Amino acid sequence: MNLEKVVFGFFVVLAATLNFGFFIGDIDDPVLHNPYELFAAVVVNLIATVLKFGDRTQIGAFHLATSLVAVLQLVAAALAYGYAEYVSTAGMDAGWTASVVSLSGGALLANLVSVVLLVVETASFHRG
Amino acid sequence: MGNPLLLIWKSLFDTEDDERRDRRATLRVAAASSAQATATIFLILRRMRTPLIVLIVIFAVSVLGLTLIPGVDPAGRPTRMGFFDAFYFMSYTASTIGFGELPYPFTYSQRMWVTISIYLTVIGWAYAIGSLLALLQDRAFRSALALQHFSRKVSRLREPFVLIAGYGQTGELLGHSLDELGRRIVVLDKVADRIDGLEQDSYHADVPGLTADARDPGHLAVAGLDHPSCEAVVALTDDEEANLAIVMAAALLRPELPVIARVTSRVLAERMQAFGNPGLVNPFDRFGDHLRLALRAPASYQLLTWLESGPGGELGARGTPPRDGRWVVCGYGRMGRELTTDLRAAGLEVTVIDDSPEDVDDPGLLVGDGSDPWTLAQADLDRAVGLVAGTDNDTTNLSLVAAARRSTSSLFIAARQNRPASAPLFASMRIDARLVPSELIAHEVYAQLSTPLLWRFLREMPARGDAWAAALIDRLTQMCGTRLQAMWKVRLTRTEAPALAGWLASGSARLGDLLRNPEDREEHLHAVPLMVLRDGEVTLAPEGDFVLAPGDELLLAGRPGARRALGTTLLVPSVLEYVVHDRRVPASWIWRKLTRTPVADATSLR
Repeated sequence: MNLEKVVFGFFVVLAATLNFGFFIGDIDDPVLHNPYELFAAVVVNLIATVLKFGDRTQIGAFHLATSLVAVLQLVAAALAYGYAEYVSTAGMDAGWTASVVSLSGGALLANLVSVVLLVVETASFHRG
Repeated sequence: MGNPLLLIWKSLFDTEDDERRDRRATLRVAAASSAQATATIFLILRRMRTPLIVLIVIFAVSVLGLTLIPGVDPAGRPTRMGFFDAFYFMSYTASTIGFGELPYPFTYSQRMWVTISIYLTVIGWAYAIGSLLALLQDRAFRSALALQHFSRKVSRLREPFVLIAGYGQTGELLGHSLDELGRRIVVLDKVADRIDGLEQDSYHADVPGLTADARDPGHLAVAGLDHPSCEAVVALTDDEEANLAIVMAAALLRPELPVIARVTSRVLAERMQAFGNPGLVNPFDRFGDHLRLALRAPASYQLLTWLESGPGGELGARGTPPRDGRWVVCGYGRMGRELTTDLRAAGLEVTVIDDSPEDVDDPGLLVGDGSDPWTLAQADLDRAVGLVAGTDNDTTNLSLVAAARRSTSSLFIAARQNRPASAPLFASMRIDARLVPSELIAHEVYAQLSTPLLWRFLREMPARGDAWAAALIDRLTQMCGTRLQAMWKVRLTRTEAPALAGWLASGSARLGDLLRNPEDREEHLHAVPLMVLRDGEVTLAPEGDFVLAPGDELLLAGRPGARRALGTTLLVPSVLEYVVHDRRVPASWIWRKLTRTPVADATSLR
């Protein structure tokens, strides 16, 4: 067992699960989407991205690309959330909630691709 | 692959494919080397992982803590910081800007958490920035960056350039003289100090330099071996094996490129000859040739040194060397051996002095320290006619020369100078023939690269004999004095001498007619034709009745004014008409029509 692989897998899966936890629920109901979960998703996704730095294989490059997409989407979601809370006069209404959650939904897709890549890599490693 | 006929067909007619394959091989070599550079940068980026993750975690924990700890607003109601407020506060606190407690003054529980997070973030930043700075100082990282920078500079070169491998004294001398000539160079050397020294050197053009082992074909490829503008490769490293490796790489990857290598051992010279036809420069062999020429034909030697010294060179005094007698050679290393062989081949008796010779079968060998007066007395220096101070130690050579001058002042002295710093000492010693290996190599390579015609002339000239050389020196001094003023090349082609085309084709184009003054044709131009090259055949010092043909290349020495005058004759048809036929012909088309100049005469006016 390789500790590095454990840490890597842990963060990749955790990024996906946290993202999923924030995403699940009615898209326009702010009560069902906890900002702390979004914060955790952003931080864990950042860590997962940094962990993927410097891998020169083809699959490593793709890993990094998916993580960058996820981070981009989540940061956009966080910015939208911040705008709704502090700048917009309407506050966190149904429309803003929907856009924040849909942005995180895009990130969830990227995170799922990342998990699939992880599974493919592990499976092919054992066979090869 | 089953049909043998097809195979034979393929091997017979596939030469073009072979060339393409060679080309591909070169490209692969370069690509592998530059991929190595990016690989290093990637590997080193990995080292930034830990500091970045530490920084992210510390930020996340501090921000999360601030949002969880309750505070109060000015009205005394309990409130919590939002994520944006917390992130904003941590950002300016961690970077030590410190705007104060925003949005409301903190409670004590908040201040406790902020105290902890300030220390944490300072550590995180210090760690990240420290790692980044260490990374920038890293040798592998820097050399990878330098390699990328270098290969970008080389691939952007659009002018023809010379690739110099080995940038010691010789490389530096050669580089400066090529730079003076307006030629671009690219430099490779194993020693970092020499490449760093390039920046302080006063070159006109930018000189890309890389610290790398030139034995690696990948490094040569990055330095432009596969570049279409690379016009020559010069191998000047101290290591003969490395020079051989460079010759091999150049001959195998770019067979059409001229290669010049420095070599002192005969075995390696033969191994180099196996790869194409590289120009080899052996300083000791060349010096032996020079010395032999100086003994046998003083006038030829005088002409050789005069022409080799370049523009502005003063005609040296013609030596009166001893024609026969006994020579003493101190130092039986590479140079001593070459010179002893050369002197014996010239029929002279030689006594050799060396303190630790490796093979002792030489009849005239005397074992002992050459700078010891007792040894010199034993060698019977008083009755010798010449001395060669050829050790690899400048102090020994200087004391040898001094001792010899004291015992017999008429002695012919040849000495070897190893370090450039000793030059003033050797210059004040009144030495008849001085060898500076690095300068000799630089001059030879320069002559081969800059003016191939002069190189050819110098190679062919000694065979003509001493009297011929003396006559040529007389002609040169009559025409342009004892200072060499200009030496130039003229190619009689349609592009370089458009006015001459018709006249050359007529078959009666005498050289003497061409070299007349355009102002007054009775006066001869102050220039001496040294050589004519036609289809690889040379004619040395052609006379006035030599008949020129289209495509001839001329090497001339003379005054700058003569060069300009000849240039006019080559370009302007009416000037040529006057110079050759003594006819004043109108230069403009209208005037020519008005005066009805016959077409037959106007063949050269085209």
